[in-house]
Amino acid sequence: MHIPDGFISPQTYLPAYAVAAGLWAYAARRVKRDLDADTLPFLAAGTALSFVLMMVALPLPGGSTAHAAGIGLLAVSFGGWMAFLAVSLVLAMQALLFGDGGITALPINALAMGFIGSFAALVTWKLLGRWHETLALFLAGWFSIVLPALLMALVLGVQPLIAHDAQGAPLFFPFGLAITLPAVVLPHLLVGLAEGVLTVLGYRYLTRLRTRLA
Amino acid sequence: MQRDHVFLGLYLAAILAATTIHSPLWLAAGLGLVLLIAGREAFSLLRRAVLTVLAFNALISLSYLGMAWWQDAFGLSPSPWQTLLRLNLRVILLTSLTFLFISRVNLFQALSFSKNLTYVLGLAYSQTLTFRRAHDDFRLALASRSLHRPSLIDRYRASAAAVSWYIEKSLHAATQSSQALRSRGFFHD
Repeated sequence: MHIPDGFISPQTYLPAYAVAAGLWAYAARRVKRDLDADTLPFLAAGTALSFVLMMVALPLPGGSTAHAAGIGLLAVSFGGWMAFLAVSLVLAMQALLFGDGGITALPINALAMGFIGSFAALVTWKLLGRWHETLALFLAGWFSIVLPALLMALVLGVQPLIAHDAQGAPLFFPFGLAITLPAVVLPHLLVGLAEGVLTVLGYRYLTRLRTRLA
Repeated sequence: MQRDHVFLGLYLAAILAATTIHSPLWLAAGLGLVLLIAGREAFSLLRRAVLTVLAFNALISLSYLGMAWWQDAFGLSPSPWQTLLRLNLRVILLTSLTFLFISRVNLFQALSFSKNLTYVLGLAYSQTLTFRRAHDDFRLALASRSLHRPSLIDRYRASAAAVSWYIEKSLHAATQSSQALRSRGFFHD
C-alpha cells in the first residue's frame, strides 16, 4: 500500500516530517514510560511481525493477491502508540535497510498507516469491542487499511495542485483526486476485508498463545 | 562526529536536493554523479534501482501517457515527455542514492545517538532477517509440494499457517530477548 520515493513534493513531505517527528517523540515518551525488559523486546517483536505480515500475500478470488499489514492486529494487541512506533520502524527499515518504499514518503506512510491506521483500529475496537468482539476486530482491521488508503489517495491526488511547472505540468505524482481516490481506495475496500479476517484470527490466536505462555 | 553520521547528513541533503531540482538535465547529472561514486558497483546499482521501481513507474508512466494522449485529442495537454522524463529520472536517482547509502553506511552506527533506538532496531532487524528467510522457505515449500498451482483454499491455509508461525515465533523471541536483557542488566546500567 505504501507510497514509493519520488512522488511526493518537498512542500508535502517536509511538513509531514515535522508532524511525524512530533508524534514519534511523543509515542517514544509514552512507550518509554513503560519501557522495560518486557516492552522493549515486544516492540522489536511487533516490528518484525508487522514487517513479515506485510510480506504475506493474502490470496483473493480471481488469482490476484493483496498484502496484509497487520496494523489492526498490532494496535488491538499492543496499543496504538506501540503499533504506531512498530509500523514506523518497519517503514524506516524497509526504506533504509532494504531499499523498499522511500525516505521522502516515510512520514506520509508512517502517518497514514502507522498513526491513522493504528488509532482507527484501536478506536473501533474500544467502541465496539464490548458489544460484539468479532465484528469489532473485523472492522478494526478493515478501517486500519481503508482510512490510510483514503489519506494516501488524498496526499497523492493533491500533488499536481501544489507542485507543477509554469505550463501546469506536474512535478511529482501526476494524477489528481478524480483518479487517485477511486484507484487507491476502491481496491483497499476489498483488501480491508482480508485484513479484517486476519485481525480476528490473529487476535484470537495471540490471546490463546499469551494465556498459554503466561 | 563519526563518518556514518556525516554520510547520513550528506544522504539526507542529497535527497532534499533531488526533490527540489526539476530540470531533467540536472537530475541526470545527479544520477551520473551517484554512479560515478558507486564505481565498479555502478551497473549493478543502476540495474537494482531500475528493477525496484520498474513495475510502479511503468504503470504510472503508461497511464499518464494514455491520459495525455486522450487529452491531446482535444488539445488540452502539454507534451507529456518532459514530465515523464523528470519523474522517472527523479525516482531512479532517489532509489540509486538510497542503495548507495545502504551499501556504504552502517545504519546502526549512523543512528547510534540513541541507545534504545539502536537496540530496538538491532533486535527488530535480526528477527526480520529470520522471518524473511522463513517467508521464502514457506513459499518454496508450498511450491515444491504442489504438482499444480495451489487452489485458493490451499493458499489460504498456507498463509494462515505462516501467520500463526510468525506470531508464535515473535512472542517467543520477545520472551527470550526479555530474559536476555534482564539477565545482562540492560535497564540497570
